[in-house]
Amino acid sequence: MKDLKHLIFFENLLLEANNELIRQAQADSKVCVAYTCENTPEPLLNLGGCFSARLRAPRTGSLDISTYYMTSFLCEYSRALLERAIEGGFNFADCIITPDGCSMMNRCIENMELLKTMGKGKENFFFQYMEIPMKADDNGLNLYVLQCQNHILKPLHEHYGIDISDAAIRQAVKEHNHICELIRAIGDYRKEEKPRITGYEFAVITLSTYVAPKYLLVDKLEETLEELKTREPDEKSKFRARVLVAGSEVDDTDFIKLIEDCGAYVCADRFCYGSLPGRNPIVLNDEEDALTQICRAYMNKGECPRFMNTDKMDHRRIYIDELAREYKADGIIYQQMKFCDPWAYEKMMGSNILRDKYGYPVLAVDRPYSIGVSGQMQTRVQAFVESIEIKKIQRGAVNG
Amino acid sequence: MAKQIGADRLGDFYKEGSRVRKRREWRGLRDTLYDYSRWLWIMMTLAKFVAKPRNVKAMFRYRWMANYLAVPMMVDRHTQGLRGEYLRICHTEQDLVIKDVANLLDALFRGDRRIGNDKKFSDQVVLVDENEMTAVMMGFPNLKVLSRETPSTYVSVLLNQRAACHYIDVAQQFGLAGDVCPMPEAEAGVSIDDDAPILGACAIQCNTTCDGSLLGNGVISQRLEHENGIPVFQLAAPLRHREDDVQDYAAQEIRNAIAFVEKHTGHKWDWDAYFECAKRVNYATKCRMEWLEMNRTPYPQVFGSNLALYTETNYMAICGRIAAFEKADAKITKLARQAYDKKMMMAKEYRHRAIVWGVQSHFYMDFLLWLLNCWGIVPLTDMLSMVSTKELVTEDTPENREQAIYDMAWLTENMIMRNRTHGGYKVLLDELWEFVEMFNADMVILWEHMSCKALDGMHGLFEEKAREKGIPLVWVSHDLFDPRIISRQGVRDQINSFMRTVMQEEPIDPSLEILPDDMSW
Amino acid sequence: MATFLLVLKIIAIVIVVFFALTFTVYIFNLDMKLTAAIEPILLKHYDKIDRDQHL
Repeated sequence: MKDLKHLIFFENLLLEANNELIRQAQADSKVCVAYTCENTPEPLLNLGGCFSARLRAPRTGSLDISTYYMTSFLCEYSRALLERAIEGGFNFADCIITPDGCSMMNRCIENMELLKTMGKGKENFFFQYMEIPMKADDNGLNLYVLQCQNHILKPLHEHYGIDISDAAIRQAVKEHNHICELIRAIGDYRKEEKPRITGYEFAVITLSTYVAPKYLLVDKLEETLEELKTREPDEKSKFRARVLVAGSEVDDTDFIKLIEDCGAYVCADRFCYGSLPGRNPIVLNDEEDALTQICRAYMNKGECPRFMNTDKMDHRRIYIDELAREYKADGIIYQQMKFCDPWAYEKMMGSNILRDKYGYPVLAVDRPYSIGVSGQMQTRVQAFVESIEIKKIQRGAVNG
Repeated sequence: MAKQIGADRLGDFYKEGSRVRKRREWRGLRDTLYDYSRWLWIMMTLAKFVAKPRNVKAMFRYRWMANYLAVPMMVDRHTQGLRGEYLRICHTEQDLVIKDVANLLDALFRGDRRIGNDKKFSDQVVLVDENEMTAVMMGFPNLKVLSRETPSTYVSVLLNQRAACHYIDVAQQFGLAGDVCPMPEAEAGVSIDDDAPILGACAIQCNTTCDGSLLGNGVISQRLEHENGIPVFQLAAPLRHREDDVQDYAAQEIRNAIAFVEKHTGHKWDWDAYFECAKRVNYATKCRMEWLEMNRTPYPQVFGSNLALYTETNYMAICGRIAAFEKADAKITKLARQAYDKKMMMAKEYRHRAIVWGVQSHFYMDFLLWLLNCWGIVPLTDMLSMVSTKELVTEDTPENREQAIYDMAWLTENMIMRNRTHGGYKVLLDELWEFVEMFNADMVILWEHMSCKALDGMHGLFEEKAREKGIPLVWVSHDLFDPRIISRQGVRDQINSFMRTVMQEEPIDPSLEILPDDMSW
Repeated sequence: MATFLLVLKIIAIVIVVFFALTFTVYIFNLDMKLTAAIEPILLKHYDKIDRDQHL
């Protein structure tokens, strides 16, 4: 396939946490709201005058200092973030808002605060910790709304004078939805038998919408969508199987590249930082206030394993099955970052249930934060692709 | 073999390669006869338990029941070297806990579909988590509140250090990563291994321990709800429990949990019963505060495992619901006062006053006693004993009924351990140093439960603070339920090295420095 | 009276024998030594039980 015109632009955005567009937005006097967890409602961080940047630590090397502070038993994502913060790599942020999504993320941000790693020279800088619901119900919704008011809206207004009115929130949702619709439209091309976008390209584009100011990405995304309409897929595909990747935080596009280099096309991304359900548009009505509707949407769409009610737990596997059918996946790669407690359990549950109850071939793997070119992982993915192929051949033989 | 404290070389009782010790201690005539009489009482309790055929049947069905062969030895481990009031305090606690666990097992097997299959009884049972405050059940006096995980894993590991290994392996066979906390891992393993009794009208699970525990419950509820048809309510207590803006949510969770129990059992919430229990909780708090107050003086009385194990049981699992614990509170307090008046000491020499922080190694609960006997380190209090001291409302008025909901929510949020491991760094990091000052401690023993992410995440800052304050801090790593990762000797070695190299000290009882207890229960 | 004394004597003997036996078991930890011998047999038994192992 011909290279996507803006792919290098999107890739470059991922090379640094403080990327070109963040610098541009801050030069426009916009406030950079850093955050770390998918359960933080993004539109509220993108009100007029501010923009969100989800923290990651690209090109992570040594984790020595953060390992001293948090030991080697915490996941590498949390350690990489702390390491980068200690190095001064997140000094661009004007505030940080984080829910107690998991213990490790909470400790990571607390270390950032106690070690005074952020906010140097920024007198309005603040740390905010949120409680977010663990169940999807009315009580959880009330909590979510209150927490967003107290820990996102009020501090943004008080520290930076951000307009937090219902009208401002609705405008932010409208802009957020536009990005979501573009990503969804681009992502829909993955359903084709001969897809005109690779999983890697899609991961790069999606990830950039989390880490860069969205309003500065719109034109590039629109152009990319236009470009895809006429993009010719390769006559002979290099892919031998289609897989859905599910599981914990993935902000390392090399992981997706590695899978695709082993012959498995990543047709769907059901992971934290992915588009499913992260880039679901939020549909608002006029009867209810926008904040409550946003919180309800986040609560209901959330596929994070911290949701503990049975319906939510069951839905995590139902949703993957639905996606696998919609995106025509031959198999599922269930991945978790090493030392992640929530996904360790969910990976076990999900991989067993999807294999035994739903009948999918499943590869369950754990991985480091930054995988590079891991021979071990390549071997496992290659073996998985071969096993899917063998199953296809066997099925073909049975069907005559 | 003597009456005096510290007269025996306690390490000499161990035998290489044996599960048990060579013999029991001679503590002088009076104390030996007392200990013997309590041993007889324990044997009678066990005999009564096995006299019921259904309990024998259960013994042959559930693997974890084999651990109960070691009950008397658990008591022996916690009474090592004790004399006088300390021995009596320990027995008052341990014997009551044994009785309570025997009742729990008996009830579980009575209702268990595989064993007693008493349907009518089972319909009165509400299952709860092992790591769950039972505050929400204080107003249901006629329901049986049973935890399957308490006897299958929690108590089992107290009895036998290797009790959870089989279940940990089962969970890992099914693909669970080996780096999660082995406690919920073992509990999930029991469920996967089809080794949990099946009974109950409904169940209440909670999120009160950690991420791992929350997800481990997800494994258990799969079988409970989808296979056994037992409805489950997941009680979500807020993590940031010190914040005002989460308390309404916490209270509503309690209301919802009560409504759930009422719906599935047909029982109605009884305010009289609740306020009765609340009075007992207040009494237990009052007693605990008095013990802690004594521990601030040069003559601490209820400390070490005498404080830790009893507080865990009484505060969390009992929560005022069982009157016998109120009597035990009173008796322990009386004994402690007597000892305090006589300026008694539990060991022959006190060298250091330590705060024990972090999550203690469950397979080595008598380590606190070892610290004292081997090195003269007095474990004044521990993290799991520093729980809520809030007084609950006890008078039945309309306003108090509303407040009571918030009190139950508060207790639930402040379950042992999670009241420190969640809720921000202040409760874990900052308050430790407040307690060091309050108790006039000169040392911190910091358990590093290696798979407890909430604790590990503060590692560096603990060290920096200790250096800043000039307080010696000893890390003691372990893996909670799994002695294969770090053995009991491995735990001891960390203290031995520190005491010899950093503190330049010699042990009080050198026979305890290296013990051949790898094969021991 | 003689019968009464005899009964008392029997009771005393029973108590003394009971004490001597149980105290011997107690002080030499014979109860735990016995159960330690039983445990491996029980573990073998548990291994033989058919279990419906699944999530």
